Amino acid sequence: MGDSQYSFSLTTFSPSGKLVQIEHALTAVGSGQTSLGIKAANGVVIATEKKLPSILVDETSVQKIQCMTPNIGVVYSGMGPDFRVLVRKSRKQAEQYHRLYKEPIPVTQLVRETAAVMQEFTQSGGVRPFGVSLLVAGYDDKGPQLYQVDPSGSYFSWKASAMGKNVSNAKTFLEKRYTDDMELDDAVHTAILTLKEGFEGQISGKNIEIGIIGADKNFRVLTPNEIEDYLAEVE
Amino acid sequence: MSTSSVELPPKGGFSFDLCKRNEMLAKKGANPPSFRKTGTTIVGLIFQDGVILGADTRATAGSIVCDKNCEKIHYMAPNIYCCGAGTAADTEAVTDMVNSQLQLHRYHTGRESRVVTALTLLKSHLFKYQGHVQAALVLGGVDVTGPHLHTIYPHGSTDTLPFATMGSGSLAAMAVFESKYREGLSKEEGINLVCEAICAGIFNDLGSGSNVDLCVITKGHKEYLRNYQVPNHRAHISSKGFTFPKKTEVLLTKITPLDEKVEVIEAGDAMEE
Repeated sequence: MGDSQYSFSLTTFSPSGKLVQIEHALTAVGSGQTSLGIKAANGVVIATEKKLPSILVDETSVQKIQCMTPNIGVVYSGMGPDFRVLVRKSRKQAEQYHRLYKEPIPVTQLVRETAAVMQEFTQSGGVRPFGVSLLVAGYDDKGPQLYQVDPSGSYFSWKASAMGKNVSNAKTFLEKRYTDDMELDDAVHTAILTLKEGFEGQISGKNIEIGIIGADKNFRVLTPNEIEDYLAEVE
Repeated sequence: MSTSSVELPPKGGFSFDLCKRNEMLAKKGANPPSFRKTGTTIVGLIFQDGVILGADTRATAGSIVCDKNCEKIHYMAPNIYCCGAGTAADTEAVTDMVNSQLQLHRYHTGRESRVVTALTLLKSHLFKYQGHVQAALVLGGVDVTGPHLHTIYPHGSTDTLPFATMGSGSLAAMAVFESKYREGLSKEEGINLVCEAICAGIFNDLGSGSNVDLCVITKGHKEYLRNYQVPNHRAHISSKGFTFPKKTEVLLTKITPLDEKVEVIEAGDAMEE
């Protein structure tokens, strides 16, 4: 590739105007496990595949969906360790905001601050960009919101989005199925069906993770039993 | 070259301009304004199911009561509360900071906070500041290891006790505890004892007063009883207002109209572009 001379140094633009390291980071994201999010009229649902490398791994010790504040949750596609670091930083920023203003941080503010952290790592020496894209789901005074944050630090608000391996099929499926007046339960069913589309093997409560937030503004991850109930409804 | 000194704006940092004036005032006997202290009676005791914390609600600045109903029982975690005595700003800032740290810790570990965690965070902070952060605290809560009650002194030392009192009214409250406390109190008995201890502080110590606040913490449950007892209820002034018995007599009326002085301004030049 003509860009290969510029692909090693993050802080150097290539002649075509791209930062090749960020492109590579997006590739890392694209080869990660599928995750998706759907914004319903009265809440948001985010979901991801939880394919473990071997049956010997204790799946209860792995939690891919994390909560950043009581009313904001996040899921990722890409490198798990990078995700952990970002979640830790974001939680601290949310807590600092709360200490300063004595109000829970609005979703857009937290997304902005997380994106700023990710952007820092694209313009500093000796570091590499984060190899994750995040889907942030939150419910605040402005209602339910869903944001995607990329390794470059850019963020977008979505009605429904997907990332990872099966992104094009998943997005097509979501485009067909999405309606503006969807309820949270319908959104969960749609999310499960979308995951099922590209799922290799038997889908069950133990190899997917779903997080929801409703009008009660309390983000929570569904237990495997609850997921099994939803799966049964979908069949 | 003229030797006149030019007034330069301050470059930042502390301005020592008023120090001489303050020194002069102090020599003449004028006292600087004092900061707000909580004077205070705060207590805690362990009963059979958990911990009860109690506090009065008077905040003083010198000899003036500046808040008749302030909150001295601070939230630290869903299962941990902390009473604060000493400088009000210090107790509030330090409990707020440790509250924040405990919240982050809960996110990272996914577990309920322990009382000893809050204790260690508080005492390390206070020790670091060598007693300049004047916060004397009674920390109590129930976690997986059971109910705990600790006192923390401004310099950073701590005690672990079944019953504790702090503040200017601590001796009055401790007298009540020492005579009536026993292990295995029920919730009713515990609440009554705490109220008695706080009331002892309220009525016998000048730095404590007004109402009694309580917080009862048990495993998985907490009750924050704000103004549980109001022994100093303030009866308000009569709504009818005051009537004066004797009307004022008018002796002389003299009206002097002021001269009107009106300046006529000619249409001035339009503003230059």
